[in-house]
Amino acid sequence: MATNIKKSEGTAYVPGAVSSKRKVGNPLRKRLFREMKKDWKKYFVLFLLMVFMIGLASGIDVGNDSMMAAIDESYEKYSIENGHFELHSKPTPELLKEIESEGITVYEQFYKDLSESRKAPIEKTEDDKDVTVRIFKIRTEVNRACLMKGAMPQKAGEIAIDKNHADANGIKVGDTLYIGEEAFTVSGLISSSDYTTLFRKNSDFMFNAIDFDIAVVTPEAWESLPSSIFYQYAFMYNEAPATDSEQKEKADALMEKLAVLSATGGFTDEKETAEELKNKIQSQDPETMQILSEKAGSINELTDFVPEYANQAIHFAPEDMGSDKAMMSVLAYVFIGVLAFIFAITTSNTITSESAVIGTLRATGYTRGEILRHYMLVPIIVTLLASAAGNAVGYTIFKDAAVSLYYNSYSLVTYETRWNMDAFLTTTILPMLLMMLINFIVIYRKLRLSPLRFLRKDLRSSKRKKAMRLPSWSFLKRFRLRILFDNMGGYLVLFVGIAFVMLMLAFSIGLPETLDHYKGQMDENLISNYQYVLKGYKDEEGNVIATSEESAEKYSVTSLETIGGAHKGEEISVYGYENQSQYIRIGEALSGNEVWISSPYQKKFMLKVGDTITLKEKYEDKSYDFVIRGIYDYDGALCVFLPQENFNKTFGLDADAFTGFLSNNAISDIDYENIYTVVTLEEVMSIATQLDHSMGGMMDMVAWVCLVMAILMMYLLTKIIIEKNSTSISMVKVLGYENKEINSLYILLTSLVVIVSAIATAALAILGLAGVFRLYMNSLNGWFDVYISPMGIAKMILILVVSYAIVAIFDMMRIKKIPLSEALKNVE
Amino acid sequence: MSEVEFLKVCNVCKSFGEGDSRQEVLRGMDFTVAKGEFCVLLGPSGSGKSTLLNIIGGIDSADDGYISIAGDKLRDMDEKTLTRYRRKHLGYVFQLYNLIPNLNVKENIEVGAYLSDKPLDIDELLNTLGLWEHRYKLPNQLSGGQQQRTSIGRAIVKNPDILLCDEPTGALDYNTSKEILKLIEDVNRKYGNTIIMVTHNNAISDMADHTIKLRDGKVRKNITNDNKISAVDLDW
Repeated sequence: MATNIKKSEGTAYVPGAVSSKRKVGNPLRKRLFREMKKDWKKYFVLFLLMVFMIGLASGIDVGNDSMMAAIDESYEKYSIENGHFELHSKPTPELLKEIESEGITVYEQFYKDLSESRKAPIEKTEDDKDVTVRIFKIRTEVNRACLMKGAMPQKAGEIAIDKNHADANGIKVGDTLYIGEEAFTVSGLISSSDYTTLFRKNSDFMFNAIDFDIAVVTPEAWESLPSSIFYQYAFMYNEAPATDSEQKEKADALMEKLAVLSATGGFTDEKETAEELKNKIQSQDPETMQILSEKAGSINELTDFVPEYANQAIHFAPEDMGSDKAMMSVLAYVFIGVLAFIFAITTSNTITSESAVIGTLRATGYTRGEILRHYMLVPIIVTLLASAAGNAVGYTIFKDAAVSLYYNSYSLVTYETRWNMDAFLTTTILPMLLMMLINFIVIYRKLRLSPLRFLRKDLRSSKRKKAMRLPSWSFLKRFRLRILFDNMGGYLVLFVGIAFVMLMLAFSIGLPETLDHYKGQMDENLISNYQYVLKGYKDEEGNVIATSEESAEKYSVTSLETIGGAHKGEEISVYGYENQSQYIRIGEALSGNEVWISSPYQKKFMLKVGDTITLKEKYEDKSYDFVIRGIYDYDGALCVFLPQENFNKTFGLDADAFTGFLSNNAISDIDYENIYTVVTLEEVMSIATQLDHSMGGMMDMVAWVCLVMAILMMYLLTKIIIEKNSTSISMVKVLGYENKEINSLYILLTSLVVIVSAIATAALAILGLAGVFRLYMNSLNGWFDVYISPMGIAKMILILVVSYAIVAIFDMMRIKKIPLSEALKNVE
Repeated sequence: MSEVEFLKVCNVCKSFGEGDSRQEVLRGMDFTVAKGEFCVLLGPSGSGKSTLLNIIGGIDSADDGYISIAGDKLRDMDEKTLTRYRRKHLGYVFQLYNLIPNLNVKENIEVGAYLSDKPLDIDELLNTLGLWEHRYKLPNQLSGGQQQRTSIGRAIVKNPDILLCDEPTGALDYNTSKEILKLIEDVNRKYGNTIIMVTHNNAISDMADHTIKLRDGKVRKNITNDNKISAVDLDW
């Protein structure tokens, strides 16, 4: 026998020779690339899933922050107001002077609301719905517009409209629009700095870029537009408030003073003095009557006051973008957490299969830390690569997608992409830390065992010495149960992964269904097709305004706001209805302060019959108590209903006073100068229309993404489970089991787990969706319930089951490929 | 401490299980091994030889008694110190090789070299082991004997003071076993390592300097072999 002491080429063998080379590098590192290459499919899928999620989070983060920076800069660039107010009629110069003495500079921004159509009036049919366009003269001092395309109007017959509205309706520069009955050419597309979100009124439930537009024309063209003027003024503080609380205090004080000033024609801005004046008027005090006659021309009414910080048209977009970013980050972390567990299970299985080697290494002197670091390197490398690739696609593809999503919903100014350190941290460092933490915990726990346990391949953490006793079921059932217990970790991660996909599916299927359901509900139980609000119930000559429209019925409406609680300041519409009303059908006779409330009001504020609610005037301290006697099934808004007679008594109005008409048909015999506004079905449903426009298309995409994610995730987890059981599978093959019998053990079990998980997590996902939706609704002025039909739930489960059916084909192929020798080579 | 007492096993006891299932595996073992000695722990299955080897290797602990190496008692070492002790002073060879499947022969040997500040020259060692031509092969491309040579290479590349061999020929055929034994003999002679080999093969004791015969957890015979023969002359 030879000891095979050979000489290498040119190398003389010297017994006991010590290497002159420097210390050998850790050879275990050489395994990493081979390990990844060997299992490249698994790591590639994990890489892809991570790139997608990190890319999405990074894209939204970068797009969001770049856009936010542009919005922040727009305050100075376009001189965004500190607030605005609206008066019922044009103020006298004296009143304006008094108003400006309150420490503000005011800027006239009168507007007119008209109908906008792409068709000439003569071409229009009943199906063509008009949209409302709010037209300003070109504003040069405050709230200037950002020209996005084309040119600002230069002459009569030219108009620049909101870009978001134009995109939503397919209007381009050069198109003709009919404003009222007059034709205008679209000269340009703009983004108004004070209307980044197209809210018609600040109290609106939702903005509406489809049915509402902001436009500017030349001053001459504006003057000639045949419509009522809304006397709105933007204001800037002469001394800007330093803090948020100071800003609020200042705005509250200003609102009170403006209300008093306008009501007294500039006589006083003190509420107490105004009260004294009122008493003196009632007692016909001669001196007071003299003053009153002097100020009569200046008496006005503050109809709207919106400080900048409370202006939804300015703040909704950035706040919504902020919540998108937060939600995306949470989703990304949850998903990366799931992927980290998949990695950890993969590594844990590798450790199990390499336990003898690990035992040898530990026995030879490798520390636990060295082995821990070695097994953590693959997840770290894959996460690092995925973070780099994810950030690259985030800064390019996903950022553009996120920005176009925002441009699709909001009328935002131009932006420049900015390097974002936060995005880098949240999409690189945090996923890395999450991956490291989860893998560290799982691998460390696994490596805590002694070298001897590794050498003996005795890695069970359970101290149970005997196998768990199972019921006396059939052998195959018991076999499946053993497989289930043995792979509990993998199946638990599968459950969590399925829960994640189901939550996304609940959004993608539940949101469009909720919007459709809401639209259907509104169609069915809308109060009336038109709600006309008059400027006053008498015309200039003092005649009560009437109409010959047969479906018209008098009603009253006013706005109050809630006090205290989580939803302080939420606007509530208070309706007064006629006896035997055909539109508001409340059969019960109500007396005094008894009211019915709309169902969304009840749900949002969790009210019940018998409760007393207190609402206050928006611009005054006056408050009213109402006792709830019933819930009215009307989803349109948060409302209170009481008989017309009680309405007039409650608000101290004339007995014959009313606000306008409810009507199912358009009213054509009331002079437009007497009409303050008309609320149509489209406006009531604007939230559904807008949400559908903003997210409808995206939801289909989300459903497809869910399908792909579900397939990839289940592919990974079932691959891990089958690989872990490959020796057992091979062994039963050796024993003579056929592939279909093995499939009935492993595939059937996993199928059952998938189906049970899908059903269980569908319920959790719907609860999650309802929770998120409730949070979202709490942030809006209004309410409607999330709705998902049984068919929708079935669709969610079906998508998941179909995804697994695809994966099962791969699993069957994988089981088929496991060689008989696998069992033999692993047996000592 | 004298040269004779390089490794001292003193009243080592070890049992497994509790209550009725308690089984005493080592019942007070006492012996010493001199530096550079080739010592064989011989005994039938269940005699406690592998358990004793594991305790000497610091991967298991004694219930009672102690083991000292060059005067240092293993029972006084914490886990970190034990790891360092194994890292610096011990080499392990197992019956089933336990090679890393996706590292080639040379790299598997580098796994051992990495632990040493002054490893042996790997290329020369590959020649010594007769693995030069196979150095780029993966373990699954090698015969059992070649795999065991690689595992010996991994153990001795760091030039350990003690080489622990647990049934190194247990999975090999007669000729290959003799080749491996010859290799271990050469290593002992050339590098001067103390070798402790566990085996149930009586014949191997003929090539050892010192044989400890174990039965039922006790040292039955402690034999110094003055007429040891070379591995090539072994027969069984």
